[in-house]
Amino acid sequence: MRYLTVALAKGRLADFSIEVFGNIGLDVASMREKTRKLIFTDEKNKLKFMLVKASDVPTYVEYGAADMGIVGKDTILEEGKNLYEVLDLKFGACKMCVCGYAEQPLPSGFIKVATKYPNIAREYFSAKKNQTIEVIKLSGSVELAPLCGLSEVIVDIVESGKTLKENGLAVLEEICGLSARLVVNRVSLKMEKRRIMDIVGKTKEILLNDNHH
Amino acid sequence: MRKWKTHTPEGAFDLLEHACARKRGVEDKITRVYRASGYFEVQTPTFEFYDVFADESGDIDQGSMMKFFDRNGRILVLRPDFTTPIARLCATKYADAVFPKRLSYTGSAFRDGDGGASAGAVQKEFTQAGIELIGQSSPDADAEVIAVTIRALLSCGLEEFQIDIGQAEFFKGIMEQTGLDDDMTERMRRLIDKKSFVAVGELADGYQIDKELKSLILELPNLFGGIEVVERIKTKPLGSRAKRALDNLMEIYRILADYGFEKYVSIDLGMVQGLNYYTGVIVKGFTYGVGFPVCGGGRYDNLIGDYGKGLPATGVAIGIERVISALCHKANAVEEEAFDLPAVHTLVCFGEARETAFKIAEGLRGSGLCVEMWLGGGGAEEYAARRGIGGIVRVKDAETIEIVNLRDGETTETTLSGLLGGDGV
Repeated sequence: MRYLTVALAKGRLADFSIEVFGNIGLDVASMREKTRKLIFTDEKNKLKFMLVKASDVPTYVEYGAADMGIVGKDTILEEGKNLYEVLDLKFGACKMCVCGYAEQPLPSGFIKVATKYPNIAREYFSAKKNQTIEVIKLSGSVELAPLCGLSEVIVDIVESGKTLKENGLAVLEEICGLSARLVVNRVSLKMEKRRIMDIVGKTKEILLNDNHH
Repeated sequence: MRKWKTHTPEGAFDLLEHACARKRGVEDKITRVYRASGYFEVQTPTFEFYDVFADESGDIDQGSMMKFFDRNGRILVLRPDFTTPIARLCATKYADAVFPKRLSYTGSAFRDGDGGASAGAVQKEFTQAGIELIGQSSPDADAEVIAVTIRALLSCGLEEFQIDIGQAEFFKGIMEQTGLDDDMTERMRRLIDKKSFVAVGELADGYQIDKELKSLILELPNLFGGIEVVERIKTKPLGSRAKRALDNLMEIYRILADYGFEKYVSIDLGMVQGLNYYTGVIVKGFTYGVGFPVCGGGRYDNLIGDYGKGLPATGVAIGIERVISALCHKANAVEEEAFDLPAVHTLVCFGEARETAFKIAEGLRGSGLCVEMWLGGGGAEEYAARRGIGGIVRVKDAETIEIVNLRDGETTETTLSGLLGGDGV
């Protein structure tokens, strides 16, 4: 039997994934140990788990370097890769939003938009709102941009809205809901349908049971 | 030195001797299969007018075409595929030909982009070999191009692969039944294409769709696998358009079974890419070790009409680089022996007897050996050893010729007639 390779987004999402995989009977003991290793193997089920940077998960899966992966919907949208998105894991649910000063409505003309997600921002404003914008790509603390006049609004992930509120900002428009997704390489799903759908099916069951309790 | 002087652009690569030989070997095997079934090669220009490819119904994203201008300011593009130029060629050059027309092609095509949404082309210059069967709309024609493609893949040494067939009309028919508008249909198509099981359900829930029909749409992303997927939807309320599409697909499957290729073929009714372009069967081939399809194609009955003469047509293209990576994967890294790689058998050295040496070299070449002449400078033995040459022939004169077998180190003496037989001519 061939190894199936699973790419996991490092961090909170990987911990959640390990939990889920453990629950459906995969051997994740080696991953629970604190090590600096990046690849872990489940010899019994012929699985390999790789820890990669979140934004790289779609790339590994698209090229087939990993057969499947677990990653946030925000990354999937931003990276725009050619993948199968087979399961919503409902983990880390939050929203992608346009945010700005609470008392000012979203300007309808040309605006500058600061964001960590230039593709999502461009797609939303140009395709959905037919509005010309200039995207300013930042890597963190995006809330600062409107405060210091770098941009009129920002496009960012909103969980509780606490950071926004403390900085005098608010959600102006919701772009879409986000959560963790199970993605599969287009060829792998065809060549290893039985094994992959087995994992998908069991994961789905576990999630359903969790939600009921 | 200028910054990019010693580099090749992203997506374009040098092929060194062995890789090049390997590629030519694969191309040769494939084109031999094509020829044997009556598909003769045509060549179209490497670049053409942008107008040839610019069309709403086109399968190729505008942004992925590599464009430049001629001196009259007209836009030219490096061909992004072969099917479109061949459609142009058929409508303009073969309008009055005897049909069906079977054509094949091999060569480089070009697409720009980061390899993502654009056809998944990792290389911006990539090689395709393919066939088109023009002037026939029967399922037999579709099955034939698929069967020839399967034979071509087998001839390269690929064994474990899977050809998925779907039907463009099936999805179009079902969407027609739902009465959803174009925008909604397109959103649904994208979700099904991503096999986004959950989102398809959420989208369908928001609309008044017949219950049975809705359950069929929810099933769509999952309708792939063996022939049993067709059984699963037999009881669903299919309209005449979807039903015709399904019957057509089944017929193609049965014909392929008669070819003896059943084991390579599976069904994917959720295959909904390029629906503006494909009008019937859609074909995609997969194998281990390559994350992208190794071949693809289908029926495109509306394309040739864009160039002035309506003709039904069907065809499949094979991605040569992808076949090669699949073969390399199969051979577990690269077992060079698995390919016809070039090797020099003999090095001919001479002192004064130049004329005789040339005669010997040509004689050996005539018997199928690859022979190099020693051009002097440094040591012949050392050169031969490093290049992996099998033996050295030292020509002193017609009567004194020394053969050194570098494999076992043995040296034998012979004459011109002894070496080449007869009188040595």
